[in-house]
Amino acid sequence: MDLRLSPDAVKFRDELRAWLDENLERPYTEELLDPKHDEDSLVEVRRNFQRKLNDAGYLGMGWPTEWGGRGATAVEEALLRAELAIADAPQSPNSLGIGLCGPALIHHGTEEQRQRFLPAMLSCDEIWCQGFSEPGAGSDLAGIRTRAEPDGDDFRIHGQKVWTTLGPWSDWIFVLARTDMEDRYGGITFFLMPIDQPGVEMRPLKQISGESEFGEVFFDNALAKREHIVGKLGEGWRIAMTVLGFERGGSTLLPSAEYGRQIDCLVDALSASGEIERADVREKVGALIVENEVLRANGMRTLASVAQDLPPGPESSIDKIFWSEYHQRLTDTAIELMGPQGQLLVTSPGARKDVDWMYEYLWSRAGTIYSGSSEIQRNIIAKRVLQMPTK
Amino acid sequence: MHFELNEDQALLKSSTRELLESESPIAESRTVMEDNPDGFAKDLHAQLGELGYLGILQTEDAGGMGAIAFAAVLAEMGRVAFPGPYMDVAVAVRVLEDCGGDTAAKWQQAAASGEKIVVLARGENMTNADDTNVAATFADGRVTGRKVFVPFGAQADALLVDTVQGIALVERPDAGWNATEQTTLDHSQRFAAIDFDDAGELLCDASKGTQVLADAARRATLGASAVMLGCMESALESGVAYTKEREAFGAPIGSFQGLQHRAADMLIKTESTRSAVFRAAWAEENGEPDAGYVVSVAKAWAGPSSRFVCGQSIQLLGGVGYTWEYDQHMWLKRAKTFESFYGSTRASTENVLASSTHLNS
Ligand SMILES: Cc1cc2nc3c(=O)[nH]c(=O)nc-3n(C[C@H](O)[C@H](O)[C@H](O)COP(=O)(O)OP(=O)(O)OC[C@H]3O[C@@H](n4cnc5c(N)ncnc54)[C@H](O)[C@@H]3O)c2cc1C
Repeated sequence: MDLRLSPDAVKFRDELRAWLDENLERPYTEELLDPKHDEDSLVEVRRNFQRKLNDAGYLGMGWPTEWGGRGATAVEEALLRAELAIADAPQSPNSLGIGLCGPALIHHGTEEQRQRFLPAMLSCDEIWCQGFSEPGAGSDLAGIRTRAEPDGDDFRIHGQKVWTTLGPWSDWIFVLARTDMEDRYGGITFFLMPIDQPGVEMRPLKQISGESEFGEVFFDNALAKREHIVGKLGEGWRIAMTVLGFERGGSTLLPSAEYGRQIDCLVDALSASGEIERADVREKVGALIVENEVLRANGMRTLASVAQDLPPGPESSIDKIFWSEYHQRLTDTAIELMGPQGQLLVTSPGARKDVDWMYEYLWSRAGTIYSGSSEIQRNIIAKRVLQMPTK
Repeated sequence: MHFELNEDQALLKSSTRELLESESPIAESRTVMEDNPDGFAKDLHAQLGELGYLGILQTEDAGGMGAIAFAAVLAEMGRVAFPGPYMDVAVAVRVLEDCGGDTAAKWQQAAASGEKIVVLARGENMTNADDTNVAATFADGRVTGRKVFVPFGAQADALLVDTVQGIALVERPDAGWNATEQTTLDHSQRFAAIDFDDAGELLCDASKGTQVLADAARRATLGASAVMLGCMESALESGVAYTKEREAFGAPIGSFQGLQHRAADMLIKTESTRSAVFRAAWAEENGEPDAGYVVSVAKAWAGPSSRFVCGQSIQLLGGVGYTWEYDQHMWLKRAKTFESFYGSTRASTENVLASSTHLNS
């Protein structure tokens, strides 16, 4: 066993910290509180910060250098994300592009596609969204019905996608659509489509937080060019699955870093009120810290295996369930312990300003749904790890 | 960065498993619990000494193998709910080494070789095993006072007694200890309350003893967490295996999603306990500044998690899970009893809060 960071990794982290000191003007939570901002301008804050990261070589960490990436190790990528969370930096508005579509192009795309799309993805000149889920197909993704009909050399898309994160701010969408209505897996093709065209309508959807960070997309005879198919016709499912399953361990240290910051802020609030002295409060806060440290230990373990190129084991499903369900417990308990003050919206006078607790509380409900719900993850563990029988 | 055991540790783990499979499978743990008045097999304890297991926590120069090896061995023992004072003696051997001096050295050798049973006698509080206040005294060559929940105290050849003046060694009097057996939920974990009015020898004074005992307590906390991990491993494996055999409603019960998700939760608890225990063992072995913190994290997590996993293993089996004959209760009892000792869940949680870096800054 060796859980210590290598000297190179420590150097990377120290340089990054120094860079953040210089370049992060203020924590994102402060941006949120600035009355000059609305949802649009906040996306611009995120875009601008991503550009700074890109200029400094901190974006596309796992991408090969020839495509503007850093070719960094999994450990460096994990450290980057953790440090960004600790610093409360604005999150990339293009994470679906950089995290999913980019790797799909790098592994399965053509040279032309890479040249055309990758640079603008990193520079955030083009924001990407993911068009997989449909009203009738979420967990059961292969049940999608959106269809692609041949039109000369190209295709015409008909159907609907939904829960499209950052759709309202996106320029391009990567879409799974059927080129064969019968073949469940082999009938799905991976398309890249511009959103600004006749036949595509993007409607914002209001989330439980009141924001519209995701939307729904209607395709009515929209154009998808043949040169914008990734891989071959009918390879879409395979490509989507390899890309979704392509976890380099980059996010292993992120949740515990992010929640660690939130716990620190909770302890500050309870210290200010004096409540931290109460035995029942100490027991609950202590249990939250314990669980976050276990999350961190799981993350270190997963990262250690990824760092050695060992096949990612059951850990990824375990980690997903653990962080998403823990975040619900953390925010639930934190708000309870902060009493009436904990109920205040971050913009209200007298609210704690270091964490937007109401937002975190609501956002924690999403983590157990997206990227494979908790139930789907448990199915995976039962079948693939514990090899329990099917009926 | 890597998480795997090194070659020596992996070999130790697999040879420990083989040894226990042949010499002391869980059926043997049951026999010892039911029939052996000492609560452990003396010959096997002696064998552990010969093989170097009892000296595992000594410094490297003295033949120790480190905290990671210690945790790996104890997890194996937890798998078979191994009965006996193995962990307590291993911790005491290191206390003797840390105390130093001729008497301590002599007993260190005797305990490490498996010839003699030596354990710590520390707590005096019946309702709080974490209370380190002591009233026992050492004066004029005699130890007086009362200690409770001394692990395998009645069977010990010598006890290392925490007194106001420091750590004193008391040899078993010819007439035997003035001991009262304290039978717990886990019948195979023997405890005794012991009243002292005996000749003894001070091995180290209180100023040094405090640190020596704090180190010992931290190692025992780590060891107990590893035992609980082993209990969870077995409870999970055995429970899941049963769901593949047993049929109901025309299908193996393991095909029911309710049980699949339960089993998945058991795996999550077990694997995350493994992460926490070995992170702690690594920190302890390397003398990391946060070792005390992460060891407490492991114990505070292992307690409730093992209770869940071992309890749910009974649930997966249905009626047979509630029988004496099946092994499920052996793991549950060990885990549940260990939750209150060697750093209770409560105290470990408080320790985590108190030593979280943020609160100190
Ligand atoms: C905040 C947010 C952002 C998202 N962003 C995107 C995006 O950018 N692009 C995109 O394509 N999608 C996105 N999604 C969609 C997400 O992937 C789906 O919501 C998810 O796959 C679940 O599908 P569903 O909503 O259709 O629910 P359903 O699949 O209908 O599930 C409903 C419930 O049934 C359970 N369930 C389903 N199948 C099983 C089973 N076999 N066993 C047990 N329980 C089961 C589920 O766990 C869930 O609790 C986003 C979702 C959220 C919440």
